[in-house]
Amino acid sequence: MQQVKLDDCEGGSAGAFVFQSRPNHSLTRTQERLVFWSLAVVCFATAISFAYLGYWLILPFAGLEIGLLAWAFEALRRRAGDYETLMIDGDAVVLEWHCGTRDGRREMNRQWARVVCDCRSPGRNCRLSLSSHGRATEVGQYLSDEARLQLAVTLRSRLQG
Amino acid sequence: MSDAAHAHDDHGHGHPTGIMRWLTTTNHKDIGSLYLWFALIMLFAAGSMALLIRAELFQPGLQLTNPDFFNQLTTMHGLIMIFGVIMPAFSGFANWQVPLMLGAPDMAFPRMNNWAFWLLPMAGLMLMASFFLPGGAVAGGWTMYPPLFIQGGISYDLTILAVHIMGLSSIMGSINIITTILNMRAPGITLMKMPLFVWTWLITAYLLIATMPVLAGAVTMLLTDRNFGTHFFNAAGGGDPVMFQHIFWFFAHPEVYILILPAFGIVSQIIPTFARKPLFGYASMVYATASIAILSFIVWAHHMFTVGMPAAAQLFFMFSTMLIAVPTGVKVFNWVATMWKGSMTFETPMLFAIAFVCLFTIGGFSGLVLAIAPVDIQLHDTYYVVAHFHYVLVSGALFAIFAGIYYWLPKWTGHMYSETLGKWHFWLSVIGMNIVFFPMHFLGLAGMPRRIPDYALQFTEFNQIATVGAFIFGFSQLLFLAVILKTIKGGVKATDRVWEGAEGLEWTLPSPAPYHTFETAPVVK
Repeated sequence: MQQVKLDDCEGGSAGAFVFQSRPNHSLTRTQERLVFWSLAVVCFATAISFAYLGYWLILPFAGLEIGLLAWAFEALRRRAGDYETLMIDGDAVVLEWHCGTRDGRREMNRQWARVVCDCRSPGRNCRLSLSSHGRATEVGQYLSDEARLQLAVTLRSRLQG
Repeated sequence: MSDAAHAHDDHGHGHPTGIMRWLTTTNHKDIGSLYLWFALIMLFAAGSMALLIRAELFQPGLQLTNPDFFNQLTTMHGLIMIFGVIMPAFSGFANWQVPLMLGAPDMAFPRMNNWAFWLLPMAGLMLMASFFLPGGAVAGGWTMYPPLFIQGGISYDLTILAVHIMGLSSIMGSINIITTILNMRAPGITLMKMPLFVWTWLITAYLLIATMPVLAGAVTMLLTDRNFGTHFFNAAGGGDPVMFQHIFWFFAHPEVYILILPAFGIVSQIIPTFARKPLFGYASMVYATASIAILSFIVWAHHMFTVGMPAAAQLFFMFSTMLIAVPTGVKVFNWVATMWKGSMTFETPMLFAIAFVCLFTIGGFSGLVLAIAPVDIQLHDTYYVVAHFHYVLVSGALFAIFAGIYYWLPKWTGHMYSETLGKWHFWLSVIGMNIVFFPMHFLGLAGMPRRIPDYALQFTEFNQIATVGAFIFGFSQLLFLAVILKTIKGGVKATDRVWEGAEGLEWTLPSPAPYHTFETAPVVK
């Protein structure tokens, strides 16, 4: 479960309801570069120095480790643009999401959309989804259980209104 | 947002229970607890070895062990205490506290976190099992110097594998900690607003990543020398055993700071709480920590003054080592200045923190003595060195771990520990520790060599005093275990803030901290 930045705002056309959430991401590109390259330079400088003296077996380990670090930062970067947007505008309910490398969009008719909230109590992995024509789409993956329950109440009222 | 028809994330219902909960957990609090329990078990294992060593040294001659088994005990005691106790304990603190202090819901890579922990018991088991292999456990010292390490039996290969596994675990843990600290800080927590414990761990993780490939390469070259006919460190084949020492200490001196920087962080959280004042000189503490880390890369050869090196090199390593006293002095000054005119109370965590400041400083001063090349040549491989590093690692790292456990245990368990038992534990530990290790300074100055099961008669009295102290110190740790078990079982309900002077996000949570915390990031002003 990621952290959330919650923007509950009125947007789109007049009176439309827009709800956007995204995971918290405090790493700036400059910090990432600074940390990664300073580590890479220190590791490789050490490994290359020892390799120059004939002790070359440090080099592959340095490569593997910096590779793992690069993968970790890359994984974070891939997730940096993740978001979920839910918009109710007139009779249209539009869900849009970006998760890692995947983008998605689904439209429903407000009259057919149903809020499905499977939650015994907060803290027990509540699931919230919007269902229409037999197909459910999960929403609120960046939210806490309490925030999901709150969103469920808001959505029910919006869909009925 | 995901399509439930074809995508399910971690919203599975019903957590696994029993052993599967602990094997599969990705929760930072569970994994933190696992690290801490592992460290405690290993503390008793390696501590028992220490007691056996001290029992043997109670009087001259051989009583309980033979020389080879004695060497196995000293080697394994060192390896396990460093890689199986101190490092995992600090990783446990990092797992519990870093997300709570930053307002993050978990570590950046929870599954990798699970892996990083579960590699450790495997490695620990391998090390312990090596006692039962033909030839016994490794006996050449925790520094693994060739040619002894190249000549040993099968347990030496097993130890190399265990070191590799522990290194992999450390690397995964460090990458997780660095990415968590950089990427998962709640809005408003800038780098210079982070608690000092988080800063010290950020720098520790950096050191770990920078030095682990050197250790991995060094032990791999030992492995290939032993099994594949290479001669990296084999003088008979044109190799250079002294070069192993250079490579090893290039890793192992930063490792010393890996073992002590998180301790600085813990103490920097505790002293302001019980002095009821903000930490004096926060920014200078951060810069001092970073300076210590940078300097740690250029001092390695002070461990090797006796192997022979040019006078210029001796001077360089001597002065660079002494330079470390400057940022360390800044830290000690700031801790004392924080306490100065503070509204101090002396609960168990504060007692351990004050003992840390006083006794670690003694260890630092004996380190300065050893930094002087001509003095070191006299004292090298004597009990003076043993006294020095135990003042750093026992009254330094271990006391900080005790302090941290007492400080955060109420937040973790929801119960207050018994202050009476805590204070008994403190006084027995601090008295016992000084009885064990202070006389070792005199033994070393008088010339008693380390890692020898027998000694000349004139060293008897100080050895007997040290052994009595060791048993007081060792058995008082059972009291520590009793305090922990009693606190987990029940006790006075802890308040959310626990300590009157405590500041930070973790104290805004209920006690015990819920299983999931900060799923919505707090905003810090």
